[in-house]
Amino acid sequence: MRALLLAALWVHLASCVLLTGAFSMLLLAGPPRTSVARRWDGMVVAWSRLLVVGALGSGIVWLLVRTAVFENRPHAALEAGAAWHAVLDTWPGFVWLARHGLLIVLGAFLAIRADVTEKRNWIAARGEALVLAALALALVSGSSHAAAISPGVVSAVASDITHLLGTGLWIGALVPLALLLRAASRADGADSRPYAVRAARRFSRAALITMLLLMGSGVMNAIVQVESIAGLAGTTHGRLLLAKLAVLVPILVLAALNRARILPALSHSSDTVRRPVMRRLAAFVWLEAGLALVVLALAAAMTLTTPARHGDPVWPLPFRFSLDALPDVPATRWRALLGSQLALVGLVALVASFLVRRRRSPVRTAALALVAIGAGVGLPPLVVDAYPTTYRRPLVTYHAGSIAAGMTTYQERCAICHGITGAGNGTTSRPGTDLRAPPASRRRAGELFWLLTHGIPGRGMPDFGSHLGEAQRWDVINFIRVLGAADDSRRIGPEVEPDRAWLVAPDFTISVGPLAPGALRDYRGQRMVLLVLYTLPGSRARMTELARSYNVLSIIGVEVIAVPTQASPEAIRELGSSPPVLFPVVTDGNADIVATYRMFAPGAHAELLIDRQGYIRAIWREDLAGMPRAAAVQSQVEKLNEEKSPPPFPDDHVH
Amino acid sequence: MPVWKVVMILNLALAVGLGLGYAAWGRRADALDREIDAARAQVERLERERQACAAGARGGLQQWEGRGVVRAVYPQLLVITHEEIRGLLPPRTTGFRAAAPTLRDPVRVGDAIRFSLRGTVADDATLVAIAPW
Repeated sequence: MRALLLAALWVHLASCVLLTGAFSMLLLAGPPRTSVARRWDGMVVAWSRLLVVGALGSGIVWLLVRTAVFENRPHAALEAGAAWHAVLDTWPGFVWLARHGLLIVLGAFLAIRADVTEKRNWIAARGEALVLAALALALVSGSSHAAAISPGVVSAVASDITHLLGTGLWIGALVPLALLLRAASRADGADSRPYAVRAARRFSRAALITMLLLMGSGVMNAIVQVESIAGLAGTTHGRLLLAKLAVLVPILVLAALNRARILPALSHSSDTVRRPVMRRLAAFVWLEAGLALVVLALAAAMTLTTPARHGDPVWPLPFRFSLDALPDVPATRWRALLGSQLALVGLVALVASFLVRRRRSPVRTAALALVAIGAGVGLPPLVVDAYPTTYRRPLVTYHAGSIAAGMTTYQERCAICHGITGAGNGTTSRPGTDLRAPPASRRRAGELFWLLTHGIPGRGMPDFGSHLGEAQRWDVINFIRVLGAADDSRRIGPEVEPDRAWLVAPDFTISVGPLAPGALRDYRGQRMVLLVLYTLPGSRARMTELARSYNVLSIIGVEVIAVPTQASPEAIRELGSSPPVLFPVVTDGNADIVATYRMFAPGAHAELLIDRQGYIRAIWREDLAGMPRAAAVQSQVEKLNEEKSPPPFPDDHVH
Repeated sequence: MPVWKVVMILNLALAVGLGLGYAAWGRRADALDREIDAARAQVERLERERQACAAGARGGLQQWEGRGVVRAVYPQLLVITHEEIRGLLPPRTTGFRAAAPTLRDPVRVGDAIRFSLRGTVADDATLVAIAPW
């Protein structure tokens, strides 16, 4: 079923691309004046009629197979009701309908065998066919991966349309150009050779611009849909893109060869020279077109795979490049800097070699050598170990529930070597690694997951893959991340440091009695949160003060969330009724929140100010500043309200 | 007819067809959406009025049902952190006037309760019944 879907999509995409290219090539060549050129023009139009039939037929097959895939019933492909539902009740179906409507109009238009000998009629006929074909091709992006990007759908679709139209104008025009060159290179094509040469030159100029547009839009598409090197190398979608680029390289080499060597030779006055050159150019263009069809097949396959940004990358190499290792060894920093500068000079020289004609070859060779030397010098210090799961997305979010569960597992299984605080001071004779400091703290979560799953046999680290479930292992990793963060959090005190948000507040569930629970992340982008961990009776005076100042705090954009250190369904009642406590008081799940946040702020009473983006910005610990006064909290909130450029929202998962 | 004229007519037909189709379809879809919303609101309102009538209220009054936790008790007012009250309020903490002073007598801060409100609009909704959740 999937193979049939791919085949149908490929035929459909190739037909639409060839249709667009055919009419753009006809317009580039201009109205035909000679008999051979007229025959070529007629042949391209005749083939275009067949292409429209092919596009419609493959489009219908594609729709039917897609219906079967969506409904998860092979028989649905043969049910008119199911196909009708897919066309009329879904967005891709609506796009399909619009595109095939355009193709039918194009087919009907091409079926009219009108007289186009007059120039304006010829331009109108071919121009109209190009517009209809290009619209049908461009609308493909309406139901592509780009249309599902959010936010930024407009720029993603615009970039995708540019890429599709560029493909049509360049790749689609190769076949008619090859046909023209072949026809003109024959013995009876003497009168059409100037026409063919002019067409080839115009195409060459247009192709250069189109190629630049294709590269730009391709990079944009890759940034949006692949997002990272890990996605490129570690997912099916990314690898298909790499394969597409690999096939594109010989096409570009052929195109450069045609432009630089063969096209100038077409100007030769002698036909004995010009005809073989034209035949060779035709052969090369056919070869380009053949490779381009492979590119289209890979592009079709890409549309049927999950975009890399949503995939879980499996890193294929035993190493990766990272800047993280540089701060530890000053010598490597200099080496990396030197290498990067050499490579940069090489790249500048390489670009210059394309712009300046004098001594192009030696400059280019020297530039490539500099880039290679720069890479050889600068890259080795950046190499760090990597594993297949290095870029894996954690299964569980950075949540107090997960962290508390991870804490329990850690204390049972890991603390014996790594110590309760993760400092590597366990009770075994062979101390474990300090998990709070580099290099452990700089490892990606996916790397910790691999090491936790498979162990480090040479260093006595056992494998937990067979003892702990996947979610349990991610819980431990979330806890290890809090160990490091808690150590760093000592730098945060009761004074907000403006524009310095770095400590992510772990999410937690806010359960107030039997009401539907909320979450800390519900406040993101809305309000700041003053998280109060309190213990009665010691915190009574402060809770009374908070209840009194709640209105003011609420007006300046702060929600107070109170968490008693001892869980109790009576927690609200225990705070008393005068003054009334109107802020949320967590009555369930306290243990997870307290266990997690006490790592940042130990003690019977602590308060943490969390900004609108979800970062901890101020901490009042009992052991240092004591409980804050209402005015103290308000002054810190004002500092946050004055921040001009809030940081981006933190990810829900650790990295 | 020359081809360029055919092309002009074809493009004109496509543009007019697209414009008319979009205008007619879009306007119709908008009108249908508005009709559905109005009908849904009407059904919900009638349902609340039926509930109010069944509970003995005079005509024109509606009745809303809610659940929440009592946060403060005043002589004439109960402050409740409540779930969404369908057709009236989103989830939040709200102060409601009690229809009778005796209604609040058995209620204490921290109690989880179900409650009924009666009125014509949100501003005059009054607590008429309270029961443990």
